Amino acid sequence: MGVVAEVERKLAQQRCRQEDDGVPELRASTITDVVWAPPRWLPQARRVLAGLAERNPARTIFLVPLPGRGTGVEADAVVYDFEIGDGREVLSEVIELRLRGEAARHPASVVLPLLISDLPAFCRWRGRPDWDGSALQEIVEVCDRLVVDSSEWRGLPAAYGELAGLFEGIVVSDIAWRRTLPWRVALADRWPQIRKVDRLAVEGPRADALLLTGWLRSRLRRDVALTHRSAATISRVRVDGDTVAPPRQRSLSDSGLLSAELDTLTRDPVYEAAVRSTGA
Amino acid sequence: MPAATNPLAQGLGVRRQPDPCALVVFGASGDLTKRKLVPALYALAYRGLLPERFAVVGVARTEQATRQFVSRMRTAVKEFARDPFRTDVFETLAEGMHYVATDFAADAGEDLVGKTLDDVDAKRGTAGNRLHYLAVPPQAFPVVVRKLGERREREGWARVIIEKPFGDDLASARELSAAVRRWFAEDEVFRIDHYLGKETVQNLMALRFANGIFEPIWNRQLVDHVQITVAESIGIEGRAGYYERAGVIRDIFQNHLLQLLALTAMEPPIDFSADAVRNEKVKVLRAMRTPGPASVVRGQYGRGWIEGEPVVAYREEPGVDPRSLTETYLAVKLHIDNWRWADTPFYLRAGKRLARRETTIAIQFKRAPHPPFEEIAGDGLRPNVLLVHVQPDEGVSLAIGAKVPGAGMSIRTVHMDFLYGGAFREGVPEAYERLILDAMLGDATLFTREDEVEEQWKLVDAIVGAWSRDQPTFPDYAAGGWGPAKADDLLHRDGRSWRRH
Repeated sequence: MGVVAEVERKLAQQRCRQEDDGVPELRASTITDVVWAPPRWLPQARRVLAGLAERNPARTIFLVPLPGRGTGVEADAVVYDFEIGDGREVLSEVIELRLRGEAARHPASVVLPLLISDLPAFCRWRGRPDWDGSALQEIVEVCDRLVVDSSEWRGLPAAYGELAGLFEGIVVSDIAWRRTLPWRVALADRWPQIRKVDRLAVEGPRADALLLTGWLRSRLRRDVALTHRSAATISRVRVDGDTVAPPRQRSLSDSGLLSAELDTLTRDPVYEAAVRSTGA
Repeated sequence: MPAATNPLAQGLGVRRQPDPCALVVFGASGDLTKRKLVPALYALAYRGLLPERFAVVGVARTEQATRQFVSRMRTAVKEFARDPFRTDVFETLAEGMHYVATDFAADAGEDLVGKTLDDVDAKRGTAGNRLHYLAVPPQAFPVVVRKLGERREREGWARVIIEKPFGDDLASARELSAAVRRWFAEDEVFRIDHYLGKETVQNLMALRFANGIFEPIWNRQLVDHVQITVAESIGIEGRAGYYERAGVIRDIFQNHLLQLLALTAMEPPIDFSADAVRNEKVKVLRAMRTPGPASVVRGQYGRGWIEGEPVVAYREEPGVDPRSLTETYLAVKLHIDNWRWADTPFYLRAGKRLARRETTIAIQFKRAPHPPFEEIAGDGLRPNVLLVHVQPDEGVSLAIGAKVPGAGMSIRTVHMDFLYGGAFREGVPEAYERLILDAMLGDATLFTREDEVEEQWKLVDAIVGAWSRDQPTFPDYAAGGWGPAKADDLLHRDGRSWRRH
C-alpha cells in the first residue's frame, strides 16, 4: 500500500470511529494547510496548529524533512473533532509525513494527491527556506500561497532579495509583516506630517523593523534611515525622534497571526514593494 | 485618514471607524439594553471597533445613579456578552457611560439630558454627534422624536434608531413616519429589524449573488415553492400587554417574515448600497398579491408540553384575556406577481410554543422530470431542497438524493451541510453589534425604509381586515406541536406539505 492510500485509510477509519459516538460530524475544511517543519521547528509548529485548528478547520499536512536519515516516507494521520456547541462536531485532519533521504527533496509527489480538491492550499514554511532547493520549488508549484515568518531568518535583509524572487510564482505573505499591522495603522494616522520622515527608530525584531522601513520608503517614495534595537516584539517606534503612541489593537497570538494570513488569498502589492525596499 | 491622499492607508485593510459620537439610549433600564445593546457595545469595544471618543448615555425613569447603572451593565456583560470579560475593555467603555434618571417627555428631563450631552461633548470629545436609540414603548416614539428634533444641535449629526413595532397598522405607521420625517431625513432614520443584522440573513445575499450556480435556478422555472418558518418554543414571556394587541402577525409576520421573503425573492441589486438593496426589496413587497382568507391560517396555542415540561395555554398566561382571540400562530400562502416568481407559492409561517426554535428558509426545487429508478426508489426520492438555517445552527444545507450503497437502486435523501460554526470558527457577531456599528457609520443597508414598512403594513391590514368578519375557535393547537391542522391543509390542498422536522 502506498503512503497516500495508507493515509487515506487511516483517516477513513478514524472518521468512522468518530461517528460511533452518535454525534453528527462535519468535514468543513476551507483550506489544505501544508506545513514545512524541519525537526527543530516541529514542536512550535504543532503548538500553533493546536490554536489554529479549531478556528480554521482544514486538512493539515506536516512535512518533516529528514534528508540524512534513511529513505522513503512515513506517515501518521489523525482526525481531531471539535465540538461546535450545538450537538455537532467538526473534523480536522492532521497528516504528518516524515520525508527521509531523497524524499525530503521531492515533497510534491506526496503532497499533491493529499490536497483537498478545489480548495486553496497554503504552505507555512518554518525557518529560512533553501532558496535554490528543489523542495521549495516544488512546494511553490503545488501550493497557492506561501506563508513565511522572516523574523525566523538570519541574513536579513539579503534574504528579502531571495524572497522577492518568488513573488511572480506564488502569493507570498509574511507573519512578520502581519505583526507590523497595528504599527502601520498608527504610522498612517500621522499623515500628512509623516510624509517628510527621514529617520525611523524601531525597537523590535529586525524583520519587523526592516519591513516597516521598507514600507515607508516604498509608500512615501523617499529614503528613510532605520535605527534598530533588538527586542522580542515591537515595543517602541520613533519617527524623526518623536515617539509613536502604541497601537490600540491588541497583538495577536502566533495562531491568530497565521489564521489572519489564511484568510487572504491575493497578492499584496504593498507588502511586495515593502520587501523590495528593505535594502536587500 | 482619507485613502485617496494618504499613501500609507492603502492595503491596511482597516475598517471605517465611526465618527466620535454619543449613543443615547432611551429606555436604558429595560431588558434590551441589558441583554443586547450593552453586550453588543462591549463586543465592539473588544474588537476595537468603537470610536476612540465615544460615550453611552442611558435615559430612563428608573431612579439610579450612573455608578449603579455601570455596575448593572458590568453584570450584564458578564452574563450576556459573547466574549470573555476583560476588565480593561469594560472600563474603557464604562468611562464614557452616564445615566440620567428622568422623564424625557417633561421639559425638565429634556434639559437634564441636554446638559449631560453637553458635558459629554466637552469631556469625551463626541463633537455633538448623536445616535439616539429608542428602546421605549411605541406610544412614546412620537414625543421622544419631537423632543429630539426640537433640540437638534447645530453641530454634528443626529440619527435615530427605532425599534419595532413601527406602528400598529398602515395608518399609525404613516402617522409615525410623518412625525419622524418632520425632524429627521430618511437617511437619519434607522428602523431596526434585528433579523437583518443576522449573519445568515446577509449570507442569503452572498449565497444568491456571489454564486453563479444558484441565480439561474432561483426562479419559477425550477423552484416549486418556498417555505419560510419562524418558529419559537417560548411563550409570550410576560409580555401579555404587548402581545394581546400585536399577535404574531404584528410581532413576527409584518417585519421578520416579510423581510426574509423580500431578501429571498428580490432581484440582484446593482450594488450593496442601502438604497439599491432596499429598492429591490420594495419591488418584491409591491408585487405581492393580497392573500384571500383561504390562504391564511391563524391559530392559538392551548396547553401542551415543551421539552418535557407542561406549559399553559395562551389564554391562561398572566395578563391575557381568557377569551382572547389573539393569534399566536400564522401561516400564509403568498404569491409574488412578477416574471421571476409568477405562480410560485411562498408559504410563510410563524408561531409561539411550537416544537422548537427554528428560523429557516427552504427553497424546494421541482422534482427531476423523469427519474429512471422511480419505481424502486420509493419514498426515498424527494425533491431537492436548499435550506437556509437562520437560527439556530446558522448555515446552509442542500438535500440531494444519493444511492444507498449495495445492490439495487435505492435512493435516500442526504444533507450536505455548511454550518457557519463548522467552516468559520470566528464567533458569529450578534445582530445588534452589526446594526449599531452600521448606524454609527450611517449605513442603512440593513435597516428598513419607510416605503418598505408601509408595504408590509398594507399586507397586514388586508389580512387583519378579513379577520374582523369571523370568529375563530381557539385554542386550536397544542403547545409543543407544529401548529393547527388547518395549516397542514393549506399545503395539502396544493399537493404539498410543510417540511419534515
